[in-house]
Amino acid sequence: MFHELQEHPGLWFVAATLTPLASFVLLLLAGGLRWALRPARESDDSQPLYQFLSGSQTHRISAYIATGAMALAFLFSLVGAVNYAAHPAHEPEEHSRLWAGHLDWARISVFSPSGSQAGAWEPEGAGRASVLRLGYHIDSLTIIMFLMVTFIGGLIHLFSIGYMSDELEPIVEDHQVHTETGHFKRRGRFGRFFLFMSLFCFSMLNLVLADNLFQVFISWELVGLCSYLLISFYYERQSASNAANKAFIVNRVGDAGFILGLLIFWSYLGTFNFQEIFNQIRCPVTNLAGQFAERAGEIVRANPLVEDREQRRLQVTDRGQGSEVLLFPIAPAENGDKQEQPWHGPKASEEVLTHVNPLSNQYGSMPYWLLVAGGLGIFLGCVGKSAQFPLHVWLPDAMEGPTPVSALIHAATMVAAGVYLVGRCYPLFAPEALLVIAYTGGITLFVAATIAVVMTDIKKVLAYSTVSQLGYMMLALGVGGWAAGLFHLTTHAFFKALLFLCSGSVIYGCHHEQDMMRMGGLYPKMKITALTMLAGVLAICGIPLFSGWYSKDAILAHAVGFTWVYPQHLLLLLLPLVTAGLTAFYMFRMWLMTFAGRPRDEHVYEHAHESPWVMTVPLIVLAFFSIVVAWGWPITDPEASTLESVLHHSQHASVAADFGVLPEDLELAAPFQARADLPQVGKLAVENHLLAGAMTTAVGALGIAFAFLLYYFRLLEPAEAKAQFPAVHRFLWNKWYFDELYSVLLVRPALTIASWCRAFDAKVIDSTVDGLANVTMEVSRWAGKFDLGIIDGLVNLTARVIYGIGDRLRGVQTGYIRSYVLFLVVAAIAIFGVMVFVVSRVIAK
Amino acid sequence: MSPVGLEHYLVLGAVLFVCGALCMANKRNAIGVLMGVELVLNGANINFVAFAHYNPAFEIEGQIFALFIIVLAAAEAAVALAIVLNFYNNHMTVDVDSAEELKG
Repeated sequence: MFHELQEHPGLWFVAATLTPLASFVLLLLAGGLRWALRPARESDDSQPLYQFLSGSQTHRISAYIATGAMALAFLFSLVGAVNYAAHPAHEPEEHSRLWAGHLDWARISVFSPSGSQAGAWEPEGAGRASVLRLGYHIDSLTIIMFLMVTFIGGLIHLFSIGYMSDELEPIVEDHQVHTETGHFKRRGRFGRFFLFMSLFCFSMLNLVLADNLFQVFISWELVGLCSYLLISFYYERQSASNAANKAFIVNRVGDAGFILGLLIFWSYLGTFNFQEIFNQIRCPVTNLAGQFAERAGEIVRANPLVEDREQRRLQVTDRGQGSEVLLFPIAPAENGDKQEQPWHGPKASEEVLTHVNPLSNQYGSMPYWLLVAGGLGIFLGCVGKSAQFPLHVWLPDAMEGPTPVSALIHAATMVAAGVYLVGRCYPLFAPEALLVIAYTGGITLFVAATIAVVMTDIKKVLAYSTVSQLGYMMLALGVGGWAAGLFHLTTHAFFKALLFLCSGSVIYGCHHEQDMMRMGGLYPKMKITALTMLAGVLAICGIPLFSGWYSKDAILAHAVGFTWVYPQHLLLLLLPLVTAGLTAFYMFRMWLMTFAGRPRDEHVYEHAHESPWVMTVPLIVLAFFSIVVAWGWPITDPEASTLESVLHHSQHASVAADFGVLPEDLELAAPFQARADLPQVGKLAVENHLLAGAMTTAVGALGIAFAFLLYYFRLLEPAEAKAQFPAVHRFLWNKWYFDELYSVLLVRPALTIASWCRAFDAKVIDSTVDGLANVTMEVSRWAGKFDLGIIDGLVNLTARVIYGIGDRLRGVQTGYIRSYVLFLVVAAIAIFGVMVFVVSRVIAK
Repeated sequence: MSPVGLEHYLVLGAVLFVCGALCMANKRNAIGVLMGVELVLNGANINFVAFAHYNPAFEIEGQIFALFIIVLAAAEAAVALAIVLNFYNNHMTVDVDSAEELKG
């Protein structure tokens, strides 16, 4: 086994993925055992072993198992990462030998081409549409996601041991659910919490590990399921179960788009594998002779010239024109004649022959609009998962779940999966699709930030802040800041997990009080929480040298570069810039309302206390990483961040071709730089990084100053500001009326149609059924009469006739022996008479 | 006067048979009915013996049948007397007309 790991070090990450799964299976079995032993626990004379297995001690062990599994997964990921750094693979073949692998999971013989018989499989490549694979592909993005998920996940598991300790009690009283006999009482669910968390961690790691879109989709649905289960953890609360349903249904909308995208790409490209998809859509960087291809990394478009049943002739067009997309061969035949291979990067106005069912060394084509539509479909899935406008409404409601869940799933990892997938599928997106992504992100980040300004529930503020930051990431990806967006994803995961855990610590310390209007002045009571939260707040505000500064500046720099090249999209710069100020304002508002000033509610203040060490240790660790995770050398240079340059390693050549964004150590950077026709977003971003940084810092400082004026120095009363602009406040307080809008546009029409359907069912269908029943009853009534009258009458008549005959014949049986003898004699004489008169005559004849 | 021949025996048998049958039909006393039965059987017996005597083809068969019938009559009398005795125990009479349970 160790030998295997040396041969294929990527298996370390597979092991890291399977560890939480093992924990999940173990906890599931243990839970089943506990369930089976419950009667034994409740009877007094049970065995000590039963008592142990079913008591609260095993409950506690479940948390240690789950947390230990996460620690182990982190360890495996770390070993894998060290291996990756120690054995850099330069050649793609070597890389895929060491760091990728797959196994065939399901074969679909229906789709096997050329009518081959089942069992006789096509050689590699030819029948690839007929195989679904499970596989892994490791690059630096995967490794960073693995380290982040396992590290933050492990810390949040540790935090949960403290936060969820109420659930260890055999009977838990839920103060938010009222029944006729007081508060609702139920069994503690400590083990169940860690069961779901383990399943989530496995699904999330599997999502990041996957080398194909189908495996991503499976994990995508699994994390959605875990999110649903954990939002509705307190499912007796109406609000929690509603929120879970809302999250699930809104995500279905996005997933419908995802499935459409999958179908489009599968039907045209015949594979789900990322590398194979990208190799087909994007022109390879070098041709077979090893020279730099003229249109390296681009989507090559063409116009059809001649159509045939089996093949068509296309004319390659200039950048940005043409109705068809040229699909490149996945890989040319190894020992074929290189002159014959078409893998050379066609020039403009060259004519190319394409095939309807391309083999591995031939060109294919697909309509350009379907490429855009497929990209937008996959992006729609990401919109749902990452809570982007217009599907952002579920995430704030999802805060009904326990706070560690909010931190892990609804801030750090799952909601970032949408951003991750956009980044992973980046070469799939045509420029039009990327523009949609950028604008979606821009609108989301602004809308969410404005709502966060007026929220008073501490978790709701953080939820809208999460939506807003996810918008930043989407915007970054849309304007070509591939590494910047994923960089922000990573730093955001750290500081947002920290902020949520801090809010969890506050909520725990204030005995489940979440309303900031009843907090205030808590700093002396919980110093560790306050200071660590301050670190998170400074990081998200983009204060220099905190991690958020590096990543947010990188995003703004790319926005500047993008608007420089495309001035008509100035909004994509203004929105994030204004929102940087809003972010600083609402984050400091939250911190000041919670920890500074005078206590607003004496009762809450009296009982507030600092959390135990299992909760504060993760806070301190996360605060440390929220500060240092983005550092490079020198730390004052925002371009020198180590994390960002590591991420740059896995940037696809398409980013360079579409936006001119070049990682410094891309091997073929020089030919790219030599091309003057590329949009110079990347170059301008580097040049304007300082300008962008200065602007955001200034705007952020303004926001912080405003927050201090209103909530610390009290120069302006927030209540007065509210009274000045009641309409604005009401508009923001109601979250831009999105819920009401959807209610009017979608929910009510759906309910109306449903009530129509019900009426149709009740009136038309039911009356048809009733009518049929009535007809049947009438028919059977007549049939009954026929049966009773005629058939039964015939039977009775027969019986009556026979009875009558028998009654007549009864008289013969007199019972007197003498009369019987008389009959005998008479009969004998009669027989004699017959014999004498008849038989003798017959004989005589 | 002609010598005694087959016809005489047959007439005697027929007379005995008719006497027995009339006895069975008219007697109300069960013992009397049994006597009638004996007469019928013996009338038949006389026929068998007469035919055995006058027809050499039936010489052995007629006599053996007669013996059979005698044995049969003895057995029948034993069974019938047992029935009559039981009947008497139940009804305190041997009047066959009082046995009318089989009346339809």
